[in-house]
Amino acid sequence: MPSTVTRRAFLGASAAAGASLVVPFYLPGKSRAPKNPASSFSPNAWLDISSDGSVRIWCGKSEIGQGVRTSLPMIVAEELCCDWRSVQVVEADLDAKYGEQLTGGSLSVRTSYDNLRKAGAAARETLISAAAVEWNVVHSECHAANGSVTHTATARSLPYAQLILSAARLEPPANPALKKPEEFRLIGKPTLRTDTLQKVNGSALFGMDVRVPGMWIASVERCPVYGGTVRKFNAEKVRALPGVRAVIEVKPLHLTHQFGETSGPGSRNYSCAGVAVLANSTWAAIEARKSLEVEWDEGNWAQESTRSLREKMAQLTSLPAATIRSDGDFEKAHATAAKTIAAVYELPFLAHATMEPMNCTAHFHDGECELWAPTQVPGAAAESVRTALGIPREKIKLHITFIGGGFGRRLIQDYAVEAALLSRDAGAPVQVVWTREDDIRHDFYRPAAHHVFRAGFDARGNLIAWSHRACSPSIETFYNGTGISPQASAQVDTLDFPAPFIPNFRLEFAVAESGMPLGYWRSVDSSGNQFALSGFFDEAAHAAGRDPVEFLLATLGPARKIDLGQNRGTLDVMRRRRVIELAAEKSGWGKPLPGGAARGIGIGFGWGSFVAQVVEVSCNPSRGSIRVHRVVCAIDCGLAINPLGVEAQMQSAVNFGLAQALKSEITVSNGRVNQSNFHDYEVLRLSDAPAAIDVHIVPSTEAPGGCGEPGVPPTAPAVGNAIFAATGKRIRRLPIRAADLRSP
Amino acid sequence: MAISFTLNGTAKSVDVSPDMPLLWVLRDTLNMTGTKFGCGMALCGACTVHINGEATRSCITPISSVAGKKVTTIEGLSADGSHPVQQAWMEEDVPQCGYCQSGQIMSAVALLSKKPNPTDSDIDDFMSGNICRCGTYQRIRKAIHRAASMQAGKAKSAA
Repeated sequence: MPSTVTRRAFLGASAAAGASLVVPFYLPGKSRAPKNPASSFSPNAWLDISSDGSVRIWCGKSEIGQGVRTSLPMIVAEELCCDWRSVQVVEADLDAKYGEQLTGGSLSVRTSYDNLRKAGAAARETLISAAAVEWNVVHSECHAANGSVTHTATARSLPYAQLILSAARLEPPANPALKKPEEFRLIGKPTLRTDTLQKVNGSALFGMDVRVPGMWIASVERCPVYGGTVRKFNAEKVRALPGVRAVIEVKPLHLTHQFGETSGPGSRNYSCAGVAVLANSTWAAIEARKSLEVEWDEGNWAQESTRSLREKMAQLTSLPAATIRSDGDFEKAHATAAKTIAAVYELPFLAHATMEPMNCTAHFHDGECELWAPTQVPGAAAESVRTALGIPREKIKLHITFIGGGFGRRLIQDYAVEAALLSRDAGAPVQVVWTREDDIRHDFYRPAAHHVFRAGFDARGNLIAWSHRACSPSIETFYNGTGISPQASAQVDTLDFPAPFIPNFRLEFAVAESGMPLGYWRSVDSSGNQFALSGFFDEAAHAAGRDPVEFLLATLGPARKIDLGQNRGTLDVMRRRRVIELAAEKSGWGKPLPGGAARGIGIGFGWGSFVAQVVEVSCNPSRGSIRVHRVVCAIDCGLAINPLGVEAQMQSAVNFGLAQALKSEITVSNGRVNQSNFHDYEVLRLSDAPAAIDVHIVPSTEAPGGCGEPGVPPTAPAVGNAIFAATGKRIRRLPIRAADLRSP
Repeated sequence: MAISFTLNGTAKSVDVSPDMPLLWVLRDTLNMTGTKFGCGMALCGACTVHINGEATRSCITPISSVAGKKVTTIEGLSADGSHPVQQAWMEEDVPQCGYCQSGQIMSAVALLSKKPNPTDSDIDDFMSGNICRCGTYQRIRKAIHRAASMQAGKAKSAA
């Protein structure tokens, strides 16, 4: 399947991401041939209308909580002019007729918007044509609304249900007229989700809820060091335990075709080596696995530790690294600056910890494989399984289930490969179920990182020099191999603020070699980079004796569009300023807070959206406690398809960002992840969650921007900056520890 | 040896290992998949059910301890979403991925049975054993307050 999404577009946190993505129009013709032509109207892959007037709309993206089973059908229904209450949403299976089904990079609405509008409009125009023929009037005298076509002059009206037979005989237009934004009745209106009833009565079927007759459950013991292999194991003893059907070795396999990765020489994206215990129930499999004794060849990375990686990154950042961006002459400006500051920021590895642990169900038989996969990239799952089984692509059928959280973890397809291989080897349908311990210890982690900053000011307290030297293991080399350029390996963005606004600017990056498996964690490298950038920028504001909001706006300068050249689009300063100003205004920035509480601001621009957050915090340094009272979040995501969904994504992102700020950390000893479950890999709990997360959406008719990720990066730095405002203690590493509030 | 208990008002008898957790009896033996596996150590609350009305983590509850007791799962609240807590959840648009929500709702129902009009602090205390990685916490708080007033309204009109 050709990917229409480039790697950098996927990462997407580019400050230029306001520029629209170019995605080819994808609207197949009558590809959904109705079984009974008289019973429905199916003008394209995305919808059909039944004789009872009910409308089915297919969702071609994975529902991982972000609300695509609501926002995407809303786009179709808007142009279709049907009654939203008559719509039933159906999750599409993997099928080329839906185009790219990748769900990631906060891309779903951005890349679907134009296509889905056309799909709905083509159906609407065909129904209008059918009515016009029926009444023998011209098309332009008729209009559609609320599931009916009306001829205004004669006040005649026909519901869609009565037009489907004649409409089904017409060819839908390839380029239908689209509504004007001011004609929207559904888009832009706060709309309840379509999948809530199933999620409150227990009927929503997640990956782990799939039940295939005769299915065995597999629990897999994986090598504790990523990249290791199996030497030997005690199959006989385990096979004799209650409920056990088989004990099968799982070979590590290269996971190709994620979303445009090259998997070049030196790439390390493998599923884990392991031994699977297959049994007649999940409990039997998990219990029997405890008796498994495996001797591993732990490979080359069994000595790695958090400490050794930290020392490596400290060493690498003490030396010049690859230049990623350079403007003016940093060293000269820094040497002559009226005042200078410097700081080091540190980030840990992080696991995704989706609530539904990894799992997948596969049934291999007669040279075919059917999968029920909670995956963000069904195309990549099928490709990885095709490679693993060596069967033709057309012999793979893949259904996408409800998914208990993604956050980037389910972009990787190791669980699908495991299920497919085990089904083949067992000769039965197999559901592979990861325990929470498996999930925490065998993730593809957000890389740990080290950031060294130096800045210089002129006599008036303006930033004239900024140097940022970053170092981390590289997601890029993990998937693409070691042959890529330093620029391509870098986990920093050349346009991250304050890049284009400082005359003497230098950005460097060094790759720290590591054996750890790496992946895309909600907002990818921005999750950590923005903590460092917004944190050090706040330090700069205080060093210059300036208010952080005023300093942000002054550094951005007046509202304008900056041409980035070389087809890189423009950088819209106005949209950046507006979210900062809105968050400041709505949070009461500058007004005193009671009880020693204080505010901090964080920003993040990317995925086609602009976010600023102000966090209100109070601390008790002697007890080491931090309380986040309120978060005010301003977002400009262009046209907000479903404001209720945008609000949900911002609240979700803030809580996700607070977990990063306050709770979560993966550490490594002897090549092994030390954490295993929610007692030692902590995430945010309700008692930690702020009383309010107020979301303010900038009204806009600009192209829709992404919403899944851009709310994450601003939160952690806003917390750190608020703690500084409250206590004078500067937070330079995550998660924030009690000791950090007390240290000088 | 068969173990008997009442599940959502219906008598059930299962012949499984006595130490098999109720969670897996529900999911694998009885095919009631609304109750979720999240951690296996009573750390996340996704598996919360009621045993004799008490919110209980089914992932660490051996089936032998359930003998003769009344178990209620998410499927037992209502299929049509008419239970006040389910209604409040729908009206506040709470679930995102939805995986934790069976457990959240079962905990909320148990909270409201003990404290019909809980404060935010009561909610924080009672609900903090239920993790939501999507971060629906603010809407969960609102939905619990909404369900409390719905139930109070119902009680008033019944009286």
